[in-house]
Amino acid sequence: MKPDTLIGRNTTRQDAREKATGEFIYGMDFRLPGALESVVLRSPLPHARIVKIDAGRAEALQGVRAVILGRDLPEVYMNGPVEDQPPLAVDIVRYFGEPVALVAADTLEIAQEGARLIDIAFEPLPVVTEPEPAMLPGAPLLHPHWKSYVADEQVVRDGNVCCHARLQNGDVERGFAGSDLVVEGDFSTASVHQSHVEPRVATGVLEADGVVTVYSNTQLTIWIRSQVARVLRMPEDRVRIVPLGIGGGFGSKLYAQIEPFVALLARKTGRAVHMFTPLEEELTAGLPRHPTRIHLKTGVRRDGTIVAHQARMIVDCGAYAGSGPEVAGIGALMLTGPYRLPNVLFDGFAVYTNKTNFGAYRGPGGPQSVFALESHFDVVADRLGIDPLEFRLRNIAGEGDEVANGQILLGVGLREALEKAAAAIDWGKPSPAFHGKGLALSWWTTTLQKSTVRVSLDAEGRCVVGVGTQEMGTGGVMGALPQIVAETMGIGMDDVVIDVTDTSKGLWDWGSQGSRTAFNLGRAAQGACIALTAKLKRAASCALGVGAELLEIKGRSVISRARPEAHISLATLARSDTRGELCVIYESIPEPAKYRKERLISVLYPAFHYPHFHCHAAEVEVDPETGQVSVLRFAAAHDIGTAVNPSLIEGQIQGGAAQGIGMALMEEVRYKDGYRTNINWTDYKLPTTMDVPDIKAIIVEHPVAGGGPYGLKGLGEAPAIEPPAAIANAIARAIGVRITSLPMTAEKILKAIRAARSEK
Amino acid sequence: MNSLMNIHLRVNGHPYSMDIDPSSTLLDVLRNHLHLSGTKENCLEGECGACTVLIDGRAVNSCLLLAARAQGKEITTIEGLAQGGTLHPVQEAFIREGAIQCGYCTPGFIMSTIDLLAAHPEPTDAEIDHALAGNICRCTGYVKIRQAVRAAAGRGGASHEA
Repeated sequence: MKPDTLIGRNTTRQDAREKATGEFIYGMDFRLPGALESVVLRSPLPHARIVKIDAGRAEALQGVRAVILGRDLPEVYMNGPVEDQPPLAVDIVRYFGEPVALVAADTLEIAQEGARLIDIAFEPLPVVTEPEPAMLPGAPLLHPHWKSYVADEQVVRDGNVCCHARLQNGDVERGFAGSDLVVEGDFSTASVHQSHVEPRVATGVLEADGVVTVYSNTQLTIWIRSQVARVLRMPEDRVRIVPLGIGGGFGSKLYAQIEPFVALLARKTGRAVHMFTPLEEELTAGLPRHPTRIHLKTGVRRDGTIVAHQARMIVDCGAYAGSGPEVAGIGALMLTGPYRLPNVLFDGFAVYTNKTNFGAYRGPGGPQSVFALESHFDVVADRLGIDPLEFRLRNIAGEGDEVANGQILLGVGLREALEKAAAAIDWGKPSPAFHGKGLALSWWTTTLQKSTVRVSLDAEGRCVVGVGTQEMGTGGVMGALPQIVAETMGIGMDDVVIDVTDTSKGLWDWGSQGSRTAFNLGRAAQGACIALTAKLKRAASCALGVGAELLEIKGRSVISRARPEAHISLATLARSDTRGELCVIYESIPEPAKYRKERLISVLYPAFHYPHFHCHAAEVEVDPETGQVSVLRFAAAHDIGTAVNPSLIEGQIQGGAAQGIGMALMEEVRYKDGYRTNINWTDYKLPTTMDVPDIKAIIVEHPVAGGGPYGLKGLGEAPAIEPPAAIANAIARAIGVRITSLPMTAEKILKAIRAARSEK
Repeated sequence: MNSLMNIHLRVNGHPYSMDIDPSSTLLDVLRNHLHLSGTKENCLEGECGACTVLIDGRAVNSCLLLAARAQGKEITTIEGLAQGGTLHPVQEAFIREGAIQCGYCTPGFIMSTIDLLAAHPEPTDAEIDHALAGNICRCTGYVKIRQAVRAAAGRGGASHEA
């Protein structure tokens, strides 16, 4: 680290103080005076025909201001790769908790009573609870008219399969035939919920000029705008989304759930309408992680070299496609990479079932794939009698290597991450009885798309950075961004003002998501700041009569390097800028990764951009009498290119790993016959201080050129990906039995221990 | 609808008198009558700990306590910690140690930490884990929160006065 640089320093994020004092305003703290309260009436059945629905008694209740039923809307489907989901169910309900009607009233209690008074009758339909039977010929179709849906042309669909993604390279059958050993395995993963501590909340307003405004604690305002505009059948420029403070999102707050509802109710009543999603409804009908079933088959030579690898992943996407087609394709990259695989075949299926529409949660498809792949590779290593660390070192991709999709990898810190994580838990040193150590590695993408940043000066000469997306907790917007701006401009951190704007201000941004926020907002800000710095030097050059090339920005002034007495303050330059020239809008659209198109069919996320590499290592102790797992040590090494703010990075790594520990050991969105059963945080178990050790975050820096500012790569999603696999491998070593389904609860482990004992 | 009831509460050293629904929780009164929105709301059943406040110095889930039952007691919320612009040492420690991400759980954690440090000025890690087990944080993995508690313990965090 250079002594005078801000890059690599643990500066304090700008929102820390107001969050510590309770002054920060979250979505849940935002109320418009006079706003109506509103609720969603949800389906009490997992699959049924609506044979009667009558809102008469609800509408007659004093204090009810509007009731909206599915049939009151024109035929409309939410946007996405497969457009199959109406905002409100019309004739058929396809999952327990599906929205059926909306009620707005003077108070929440009246709205709830109004919802109870809606007269509704159902005729139950057969319930499809699991994806495998849904794929069989003759299975009842959840969407009998699936062929008529508007869908992305490249998506291969058939009946209950709303996407069949495929990756093929070489000839796996020949590879298996030429292998010394072929190992197969089956794995399954349960759905887990994001469980952001702040609920989902929105307020809709019909403005005097007919524009509909929605205030929302969303991570992705422009996508919410598209969805609200779609449902309202209004042009996008007549819809405005105002981002509110976010108390946790993790992908859950990317897709519209209640925003179109408050917009519809506001337009119907002419009043501001407020709605939030109570925890019970969030856990019933939110957008949790996709459950999966994965089959793997790998052929190896005696020396451990992988010759052929085949993977099949079934993604349960619930009643609607949502992001399921994308997740099915993610398997093409996550069940193959970052390894050197000469012959490979992947098939991924997104399949409809009568469950909630599973959605985006921190690294969608990642932890499921890696749990299966890295568990399976430990089995392969064991069968060969090779140490799992050694097996991985022999097969991982290095600098310049090609992976399954044909992508050439650069800036690969994988070996270093693997070795450092292993060393952190004393890999290779023997453990006591019922203790075990496990490793898992992987890679992930940095989601690209556009970020737009506007930089200008305020009257005091501070740099105002306009952005189109909200801070969601990671520190990408309120931590890394001011640091990058201050470093690029040569100004103080306190002289950077972040201005989060609504969608009407034109600063289009693909949101606080996808491991991209610091990367692409930072990239846009760096570009903007370089241009603004040049403009400031030109203006100062005119004022001072000194060549622009001899000037630099220091503190709040532009000064001459040679003659420090020649200087002009940024405030003076800002005030003299009567023509508004000292303002720069910069769009960052990074170059996507190159890959071999001919290897992929129906894969919507075909390559990982500016990929980052990571390895987690866990040491566990299993109580053989109860099956209870204690995570004793956990180390997570991440190659993030360049560490702009190590403390923020450690926070991302530790937090993501804790979520992964929850997925590994306790979290499960449970269904029984299509009904949700654990819809509170007593029955849905979340990790607490008692479950999570002091996770050691290890920062590895292999920057790549042309990507993020100062060489940084993505980070945020990745730390949640490896923990289930690392812990599964540690448990297998502790008890000598492999658990192949998530979560690995004490009950499941105890059964496995007892079954193994009775076999002996 | 229940008839209203008049109650007197002492919050952050200030007396308040108000008419409320007798079934109102302390959380509801703090947020919706007194507009002290720093105390956070979600599960309403004592699972998440986001609504933790101090009642006579002890950490309590305000979503589980009827407001009327808090009469005659000293209620402290996150807004009552800073003294004349100077933050409480526990607030300082949470900021300095990077224990705050989305921050929605932060007020609850800070209140639980103050309760802990009053009883155990030099807590062991086991005491820290036990004291904070009723507060859910989904962002930090608790590591930097523990660091903040240890740091505050070393810097007079047990004191109620800044």
